[in-house]
Amino acid sequence: MHRSITAAVGAVVIALPVANAAAAAKKKVITSTKTVTGPQAVADRWGYIQITLVVKKTTTIVGKHKKVTRKITNVGVPVYPNHTDRSVFINEQALPYLTQEVLQAQFNPNISMISGATATSFAFEQSLQAAILQAEKV
Amino acid sequence: MVRVEHVMGMPVVVEARDGDVPDEVFDWLRRVDETFSTYKDGSEISRLRRGELDEADASDDVRWVLRRCRELRDETAGYFDIDAVGLDPSGYVKGWAVERAAAILDRAGSSDYAINAGGDVRTRGRWRIGIQHPFESQAVAKVVEGDDLAIATSGAYERGEHVRDPHTGAAPAGILSVTVTGPDLATADAYATAAYAMGPRRAIDWTARLRGYEALTILADGRVLATPGFPSVD
Repeated sequence: MHRSITAAVGAVVIALPVANAAAAAKKKVITSTKTVTGPQAVADRWGYIQITLVVKKTTTIVGKHKKVTRKITNVGVPVYPNHTDRSVFINEQALPYLTQEVLQAQFNPNISMISGATATSFAFEQSLQAAILQAEKV
Repeated sequence: MVRVEHVMGMPVVVEARDGDVPDEVFDWLRRVDETFSTYKDGSEISRLRRGELDEADASDDVRWVLRRCRELRDETAGYFDIDAVGLDPSGYVKGWAVERAAAILDRAGSSDYAINAGGDVRTRGRWRIGIQHPFESQAVAKVVEGDDLAIATSGAYERGEHVRDPHTGAAPAGILSVTVTGPDLATADAYATAAYAMGPRRAIDWTARLRGYEALTILADGRVLATPGFPSVD
C-alpha cells in the first residue's frame, strides 16, 4: 500500500515542471512507516524466534532530485521460545531457600566474561539479518 | 594478556591481568581434545565407544574422569548421565580441562585471571561475570561478582549440545537456563546440566538443596530463582 502511494506522488512530481516551473524547486518530504518481519529462526530445540523491524522511510524531493532514507525505529520479538505453560506450578512453601525476581536485561554491564551459550542469540541474529535485508527493500 | 583459540569445538578465552598466558595452557586443552573428543576417531573415548579399548586399559585421566562422571550420575539422580547416548563425557570434560588449565596458570605465578570455555568460566582474583540473557543476545540477565569463581550455565540456548532428560529422552520444558557456581567447574557444569534436564519443578527443588554450590534458574515464565548464597550483584 505504501508503495502505491509513493508511486502516485512520483507521478505528480514528474508532471509539475510542465504545469508550474516555480513549484519544481519546492522541497517535498514524504514519510511512510512499514513493518518488516524476519523468518522464524530455530532457537535450538526450544522453539522459534522471530524479529520485526519498523522502518521509517523518508523521501525528500527537491525539483527532480529524490532522496530516500530508511531508519529502523523499533525492533520487536513477536515470537520467542516460550511455548511452555506459563502456569508451571511451583509450591512456594516447599522452597524456603530461594529468592525470586523477574527476568531483566542489562545491556551495558561492566563485566569481563559471560557464562552461557549461544543458540538463541544465534537464531536472533539470523532473523535480524533477514529482516534488515528486507528493510533495505522497503 | 588475552588469548583466544578455538579448541574442543568452542572458543576458549584466557585473560591474565597480571602477566602472560603460557602456551602450555592451550597445549593442554588440545591434548584433552585428542584424548576425549567424540568426533576424533583416534581418541580414547572413540576407541572405548567402538569397543576397541577396555576402560581398565584406558589412561589415568580417562579412567578418573569416567569414574567421577558416574559419581555425578548418582548425585544427580541419573539426570547427568554420560552413558545415556553412547559414551559421552564431554559435559564434564570441558570444566575439568579448564580447572587443570587454571592450575597451569597458578603454577606459572598468575593470581588474577579468567578462563572462558564456551560459557564455562573459571576465575582467580576478583572478577565480574555476566550470565547470558536467554533471549537478548546483547544482554545479560544477571551479573556475578566474586573471588575465585567457577560458573557454568546450561540452557535452552546452548548450541551444539542437546540436553535431554536421560529418563525420557525429551527436551526439558518450562526452564530456560540453570547457572551453577561453586568450588569445582566440572561439577558445577554437571549440576547445571542435570538441573536443566530435570525441568522446572524438580530443578528448583533440587538446586535449593545443593551443598557447597549455588544456583540461579531462569524459568520460561520470566521468573528468576536463586539460592540465597548466589553471588550476584544487587
